[in-house]
Amino acid sequence: MDTPIIDFHAHVGNARRGRHVADPDVYIRIMDAAGVDKACINCIWYSDASVGNDLVATFVDRAPDRFVPVAFVTPYYPDEAIRELERAFDQLGSKFLKIYPDYFGRPNDDPAYFPIYEWLNDRGLAVMSHPTYPFDPPGTTMLKRYSALSERFPDVTWVFAHAGGAGSRRLHGAVEAARALPNVYLETATSESNDGAFEYLVGEVGSERVLYGSDIPVFDPRHQVGKIATSNISAQAKRNILGLNAMRLLGLEF
Amino acid sequence: MGNVDFDFRPSVPVFDANVSLGRRHDKRVSVDDAEGTLAAMKSAGVGRALVYSSHAVNWDAEDGNRALLEMVRGHPGLVPQFVGSPYEDLDAFAAQVEDAGVRSVRMLPTVYAFPFREWAIGRWLDWMAAERVPLWLPVSYSTERPWNPRLTGSLDPSDVHETLSAHPDVTAVLCDAVYTDLPWVIMLLKSTPNLYLELSRFVSTDGVDVALDAIGDERILFGSSFPDSSMSPQLYHLHRCGLSDESLARICSGNIDRILGTE
Repeated sequence: MDTPIIDFHAHVGNARRGRHVADPDVYIRIMDAAGVDKACINCIWYSDASVGNDLVATFVDRAPDRFVPVAFVTPYYPDEAIRELERAFDQLGSKFLKIYPDYFGRPNDDPAYFPIYEWLNDRGLAVMSHPTYPFDPPGTTMLKRYSALSERFPDVTWVFAHAGGAGSRRLHGAVEAARALPNVYLETATSESNDGAFEYLVGEVGSERVLYGSDIPVFDPRHQVGKIATSNISAQAKRNILGLNAMRLLGLEF
Repeated sequence: MGNVDFDFRPSVPVFDANVSLGRRHDKRVSVDDAEGTLAAMKSAGVGRALVYSSHAVNWDAEDGNRALLEMVRGHPGLVPQFVGSPYEDLDAFAAQVEDAGVRSVRMLPTVYAFPFREWAIGRWLDWMAAERVPLWLPVSYSTERPWNPRLTGSLDPSDVHETLSAHPDVTAVLCDAVYTDLPWVIMLLKSTPNLYLELSRFVSTDGVDVALDAIGDERILFGSSFPDSSMSPQLYHLHRCGLSDESLARICSGNIDRILGTE
């Protein structure tokens, strides 16, 4: 079936410790094999966010019809963050923000992130991050965390990385939050292919707020697409998850 | 426009090299009996599956192996695999394997807490070589045991290399390797010619292609880790790796048939 396929979760950059090399032609080869049209690429591996965002731009320059730029900033350098957001979105054309609080050692509802969210909120943009962390305080739930964030920043769209299709505990927590909060989306990249996860997810949340992602170059898009393509959900639900939802959320056209 | 196959079916015969059977103590899996497993296999286009007992892996090899034989009885598509415990009497275990017609053994150094070293299991490996019984070796076993993190450790690659190198007539299958294992797994496979790779959790970008470049297609086995994982996604992946029909057939069934002697 021909249907738009947009990878919402893709990293670029050199990380040879894990055999990852920033070669756009390698990405395009694998995307072609998986049937993926576009990959939303971010670079979170450089302490200077601008270096990563510039690397993303080189991929987009190489194949603007295949790569969608995604910004990254870090609260370690708050004086740089807003300036870099403006550059990444206004000059480099980023479509949403990726943050990685795991590096920061504090969760994504830490006040250090609030100036960044205020900037996103003013523009009505989306941010993707892990929804839980190893250093979360006891009693933390995704519902509590994102209820508070949504109340404070109502025009931000929150995308839970790895949540839509993950292990049962994270999946249940993500579903609970997504059912209560309409501005929550669930992205699906996981190393697991939990039997029945997509059937459960679509049954509980519907298919309109689930986003296909691969986490390339960590996980292979052929396997990640295969999880959705072979699941026991409707063809329309598969099309929504694989690309139509991302097109709508990011205003992408073919 | 992206191309995706919503009606995917494998194009070659499939023998799943990694399926567990039975209820789990730590969660309710989607399928926990033979009938459900066979239904999932039919749905995914999997003709046969090598099955081991969840109970044998987690708690007691002897009890679990006995229960496994009960579960697979009358179902030729479910090929039983025994779990071996080096604490048990090898001669008695060997007799049980022979009586049951079992053709492979799974051992779990991480769960059963023994080193994969000559002095611990050398006699078992001598028996496997003599009887041509291949060994399945999980890199880790991801049961949820927060009260005992020791049980979620990972296999020592140096132990695997040294011990299997000393037993070149043993055929071993490294299974449940995950994406973070890729670099050392590739090095281990290259340096250990009697070691095979099972693919259920090997989902790194280009991981299958890298493994093929490293060791060719005769030491790679399709597996799913069902029912933790679905059977189809890795099959879908393999069908998009640009493999020849012959190569795909070897990975999906030919290689496991060869090492089990079920050709």
